[in-house]
Amino acid sequence: MGSLAGKTMVEKLTEKQGIQFYRLKSDKFNTTRVDIFFVDDLEKERASGNAILPSILKRGCGKYPSITELERKLEELYGADVGGGTLKKGEAHLIGFRMSHISDRYTFNNTRLFDECCNLLMCILESPLTEDNGFKKSVFTKERDNLINYIRSRINNKIHFSLYRCIEEMCHGEPFAIPEEGTEEDALLLTPQNTFAQYKEMIQSYPAYVYISGEVDDTSIQNFIDNFLKAGRGDIKSIKTPDVKKEISEVKRVEEGMEVNQGKLCLGFRTQIDPCSPDYYPLVVYNGILGGDTHSKLFQNVREKASLAYYAQSVLEKYKGLMIVMSGIEAENRQKAEEIILKQVEDMRKGNITKDEIDATKKSLETGMKAMQDSQGAIVDFFLSQHLTNCADDFESTAEKFRQVTIDDVVRVAQNIQLDAVYFLKPKNFKEGIA
Amino acid sequence: MNYRTLNFEKIGETLYEYEHGSGLKVFFVKKPGYNKKTAMFGTNYGSIDNTFKVQGSDKEIVVPDGIAHFLEHKLFEQEDGNMLDKFSKLGASPNAYTSFNQTVYYFSCTDLFEENFSMLLDYVQNPWLTDENVEKEKGIIGQEIRMYEDNPNWRVFFNLLDCLYVNHPVKLDIAGTIESISKITKELLYDCYHTFYTPSNMVVVVVGDLIPEDVFSIVENMIKFKDRGKVEKKYPEEPAHLNKEYNEQKLVVSMPLFYLGVKDNVRVSGFELLKRRTALSIVLNDILGRSSELYNKLYNDGLINDTFRFEVSLDKAYGFVACGGQSPDPKKTAQVISGALNEAAVKGISEEAFSRILKAYQGMYVRNFNSVDNIARELTDAYFNDASYFDLGHVYEKLDISYTNKVISEVLSNQTALSVINPQ
Repeated sequence: MGSLAGKTMVEKLTEKQGIQFYRLKSDKFNTTRVDIFFVDDLEKERASGNAILPSILKRGCGKYPSITELERKLEELYGADVGGGTLKKGEAHLIGFRMSHISDRYTFNNTRLFDECCNLLMCILESPLTEDNGFKKSVFTKERDNLINYIRSRINNKIHFSLYRCIEEMCHGEPFAIPEEGTEEDALLLTPQNTFAQYKEMIQSYPAYVYISGEVDDTSIQNFIDNFLKAGRGDIKSIKTPDVKKEISEVKRVEEGMEVNQGKLCLGFRTQIDPCSPDYYPLVVYNGILGGDTHSKLFQNVREKASLAYYAQSVLEKYKGLMIVMSGIEAENRQKAEEIILKQVEDMRKGNITKDEIDATKKSLETGMKAMQDSQGAIVDFFLSQHLTNCADDFESTAEKFRQVTIDDVVRVAQNIQLDAVYFLKPKNFKEGIA
Repeated sequence: MNYRTLNFEKIGETLYEYEHGSGLKVFFVKKPGYNKKTAMFGTNYGSIDNTFKVQGSDKEIVVPDGIAHFLEHKLFEQEDGNMLDKFSKLGASPNAYTSFNQTVYYFSCTDLFEENFSMLLDYVQNPWLTDENVEKEKGIIGQEIRMYEDNPNWRVFFNLLDCLYVNHPVKLDIAGTIESISKITKELLYDCYHTFYTPSNMVVVVVGDLIPEDVFSIVENMIKFKDRGKVEKKYPEEPAHLNKEYNEQKLVVSMPLFYLGVKDNVRVSGFELLKRRTALSIVLNDILGRSSELYNKLYNDGLINDTFRFEVSLDKAYGFVACGGQSPDPKKTAQVISGALNEAAVKGISEEAFSRILKAYQGMYVRNFNSVDNIARELTDAYFNDASYFDLGHVYEKLDISYTNKVISEVLSNQTALSVINPQ
């Protein structure tokens, strides 16, 4: 393979039975990987069932019926990795599985790892541990306990927890409010049988995306694809696209007390922009200027000038058109912090944006687009996101669209960005003590 | 220009080494095809260096906890503005970190490497502190400290260190406390700066698709400061025994969190340190890794879950191994794990497990070279322990079972300490 000089390319190999297979080309990495994503609608009744699947499947499979056996095999394959997890992108619920191993040339005798590692991946995907038309009860029960514990432990990380609560309040009644692991009450309704039925739906009817990257020959790829399609599939489920528009009549304000030292303030905004719209690119620039990096208005004003916080930033949720501003502050500074934050949003709307601010943001986006191509995982995520939203742009053309954005474009999208909810996790006069 | 070129054929990497006239060492790793370039400028000075002789005087001082980290924040400030802004204008992303033994300033960029690299080398040599900008930073760092106070994983870790260590400053929180940072002044910060920010105590590491001569000549042109002589650090005597066996704190968590640790009382550095670290990692993986029988037993018994981790933290100045995660019954879990560690100290590791896990570590080593940032961090860290990250490849060849078993018996027979975070 010749040098692609930093270029990253994607080639669609085939699309069969609702599964799209892609080859990601970049010759600089010393690992080979396969990523599979099954896609479902994010729904309250299905979220926990989807979320538990990777945990159950990772517990073992036909040939390797325990974690010990599976993990020992992976260690023998030079620390290969086979795993999975769930994530939500907008109102799509993704169940991901992955395999990665070091390239054959780094092994002792040029051992061929791809086929063996793919067999392991297919083993966990296709031959789970079952009994009585359901998942093996002992495995299922343990993983359901773990899922419930995981849901409860959301409270441990106060930054994530406040973000999650802000979204839950802001999107109340919309599918996006459903967390990716579902809720405890829904997890309790899972049984080995109904979960196994959902697993079969995933295998047979969820649309899927498969990405193969790194050093691997065409024959091995073809064998992998043939093997993947061997079992056959049923009717393919069609997935809804989320609605990014919302009329806001009143800003929702929620305050919750907790025994913590630092207050967490989250402001949720609707951008009203969907990820395929041409306005998406100015929106990303908008977010960068407001709170994306150290040069941003939030970092400069909340942290550097007012000295109120260690972090003050804004993040976009691309697929649902949301923007959340987050900061950790002393409870007594809450009002002041909120005023400074809203002043920055207002300045954006009024067009108080300097050339330095937009230039720095656009440069940082350009750097980001290039740097992303140095990580196999980030490349997979970029193309997955493009494919989910039916955007044909690659790294180059996306970067070009960012370059074209002007201050006028940013001010235009700023007009429709509206505050929807304010969430504050409030410290309850708490003094830390070590017993 | 004189520099050394070292080829590591097995992993297909090349290391370039250069020494500046001031005594500053520079390392460069070329990564063809990578867009990202990362440069680090670090000093072998971290939170544990709180007692030292100020350069150029005989006075030995004890400085407030958290001062190394405070200085890290302040170095970004320059007379003509904040460095963060200047890097931003050039499309680079700058940052810094302070750990127990080092403070490292870095940036990554894809374009304009020379301009960015020159800026990095320049500002780290030129602190600009005022009473006013020192005061202002106390609010920001105060909030950083408050954030960590609410972080249960951070707390369970430092509470364990407080159990393990009687005197050693590794037990102190890296950012200090709100109280300790209130005592930090411009003058104290300059004392620390002048003592530890001296070429022979520092290192420059660059990784990316660049030309070695270009990298080294920028260093040649930009490094202006002279070496101020050898740094005299002083660490207190640390007894072999624990400070306490158990520590408990209440925080808002869903289920108890535990961290169990054992102190390694043998101090090594250089190649020996890499060897010892690897031996301990392999052994812990054998006893507690996902492939171990114990992990599976504890997991199936519901005593641990997916959050369970182990770590080997070995440095010239301190060392410990630790493990933990969520557990409904930390004391019972800790008892089982302690038993297994003590048992392994006597029994050692089997031939089969040793070679299987060694192979997995070799794979992970290869994987690390996929990331420009990881390479830079590992090179810096190894250098400050008098070792070379590239020697890790040789460690995997040299390590054997008898050495590994000797290390196990030295470390795992020590008493374990337990730190627990209980729900409110």
